[in-house]
Amino acid sequence: MERGGDRGGFGRGFGRGGRRGGRRDEEQKWVPVTKLGRLVKEGKIVSLEQIYLHSLPVKEHQIVEAILGPQLKDEVMKIMPVQKQTRAGQRTRFKAFVVVGDGNGHVGLGVKCSKEVATAIRGAIILAKLSVLPVRRGYWGNKIGKPHTVPCKVTGKCGSVTVRMVPAPRGSGIVAARVPKKVLQFAGIEDVFTASRGSTKTLGNFVKATFDCLMKTYSFLTPDLWTETRFAKSPFQEYTDLLAKPTKAILDDAERVDA
Amino acid sequence: MERVILGMPGQWAQNFLESSDHYTTKIGGLPDWPISEMFIKSDLLKCVLCGERLCLIAQIYAPISTEKSNIDERVIYLFGCMIPKCGSHAKCWRALRVQQCNSGPLYDNHHDSKPSTNCNGEGKLFVSPNGVSFEENSVCGSEEVTQEAYDDLDFDELARELSEVSFQVVQSKKAKSSLSLEVNKKIMQPKQTVNKINYSIPVVPCFYIYPHEDRSVGDTIAVSANYDSLLTKQDDNSSKDNQNQEFWGGEEYEYDKAVGVDRTFLKFKKRMDACPEQCFRYSYGGNPLLVKPELKEPSPCNLCGSPRQFEMQLMPPLLYFLLEGSDGLSVRLPEEWNWMTILVYTCSSSCCQGSPANTWAVAEEEIIIQDD
Repeated sequence: MERGGDRGGFGRGFGRGGRRGGRRDEEQKWVPVTKLGRLVKEGKIVSLEQIYLHSLPVKEHQIVEAILGPQLKDEVMKIMPVQKQTRAGQRTRFKAFVVVGDGNGHVGLGVKCSKEVATAIRGAIILAKLSVLPVRRGYWGNKIGKPHTVPCKVTGKCGSVTVRMVPAPRGSGIVAARVPKKVLQFAGIEDVFTASRGSTKTLGNFVKATFDCLMKTYSFLTPDLWTETRFAKSPFQEYTDLLAKPTKAILDDAERVDA
Repeated sequence: MERVILGMPGQWAQNFLESSDHYTTKIGGLPDWPISEMFIKSDLLKCVLCGERLCLIAQIYAPISTEKSNIDERVIYLFGCMIPKCGSHAKCWRALRVQQCNSGPLYDNHHDSKPSTNCNGEGKLFVSPNGVSFEENSVCGSEEVTQEAYDDLDFDELARELSEVSFQVVQSKKAKSSLSLEVNKKIMQPKQTVNKINYSIPVVPCFYIYPHEDRSVGDTIAVSANYDSLLTKQDDNSSKDNQNQEFWGGEEYEYDKAVGVDRTFLKFKKRMDACPEQCFRYSYGGNPLLVKPELKEPSPCNLCGSPRQFEMQLMPPLLYFLLEGSDGLSVRLPEEWNWMTILVYTCSSSCCQGSPANTWAVAEEEIIIQDD
């Protein structure tokens, strides 16, 4: 029986780039905790769009990992110390900003504070995966080829920073500052013009404003969404019989989500 | 921080109806009562809402050894209702605590049996044929047990002994999923003690539990494959920042925030990820691991009126394993089972009032459910 108690004071000497004791395997088996997790593990839900369509809360980061698989890339944007004044001096904690995305319409941002860098990075990756959102892409002019830019002018705000994204013609590239450019690359937007306002020095707010802007792309009602929606069954309704039935009947995926 | 024992899944039972004794901790199957079932009031085994017979979900051997009391013969049974529309209400679940009122001299037979190092004869089963008591078999693994040691029986030692036996069995057979397929094809072997099949009693797939201490949360788990490269990469980024004259300023401490989850659930998930297969958490008198921050207070004990305290909680992997095990079988779990955790509160003085000495008392305990 392994006992964890004898490693008291863990973390003090961990530092950066340190290797763990090697007691645990790298890929731990995922046992789903939520009902949605069970459905994903069985393979009943294959795309994130089915989850977004019914506004189901994603509570386990392994759900996103299982669905997006190896296309999901993550990157640490910044680790910065934040300090708090206590009677005994200053207490320093580390705040990590991590952005994850698959470059094809899904992006997530995670922010985590912790006493150690490694814990902050790990926690931020988990939070980023939990916040993965869909990004709507559209055309600047002719609807030829795949969507490459934002569908309309959108603006996002966080703190005093506002970020405005404007559709751009093909080949313009991402015209933005270095930090939001990374977020937009992860989202899979190829061409966009941006304009920002406010104290963009606070890059934490800048990055969150960009993320908020991307979130708004799907909230914007454009004329092509004017047709009435045909309501489809939620995955819980559709697959509950499957979960309870003794035989493994495979249902056809009747859900087709409009791109 | 209170010590928490996790119930980890072990061996699947070869036959879901097979019986063992009341010292076994298991999930599913048929309950092993220390006394005949006739003495248990039949109302306790029926669902409050629909009146159907309840199904055993978990049986946990839980002796207590504190300064105040030293009760060795104590078992907790958890029952749930399998009727499709009825299963999700908190009233359908029932927790029974069966204990013997005075711990009699039950451990004499331990130092009678000869300690032997090799008891792999029966191989896979926890249950030995012909109804031989489980205790005698368990001594094969632990030599030099004296009477004095058993008087101060710590839950530690008991857990260690149980785990020694279970590890001998479990280490060779860790593939649970393949075993569940085997169960379908295996014919009932006549030499096992199997209860007469009573088709009116619902039974869920049965597997055994071995205990495991919950380790401190400081241990790291891999979340990203390129974890170490991320650490080194961010060093490069910071140098680039200085060149471009950008700086990140004015940041404050921020609490964890994600779309769709709150902090309590994030903490719950963190403990789950540390040990993903835990089926239940046992912490006598400790604090439960909550899913939602609101928790209603448990009512005081029916028999003696003393307040109830937390003893154990069932965790979602149990539901996952039961679903996996019941794949392809005739028994099915109700689809409304969306619970995230089921908390069991028991009498803090572990009373057995109203029963004469050296008999068994049955008490009903409180259950609180937190849903998905």
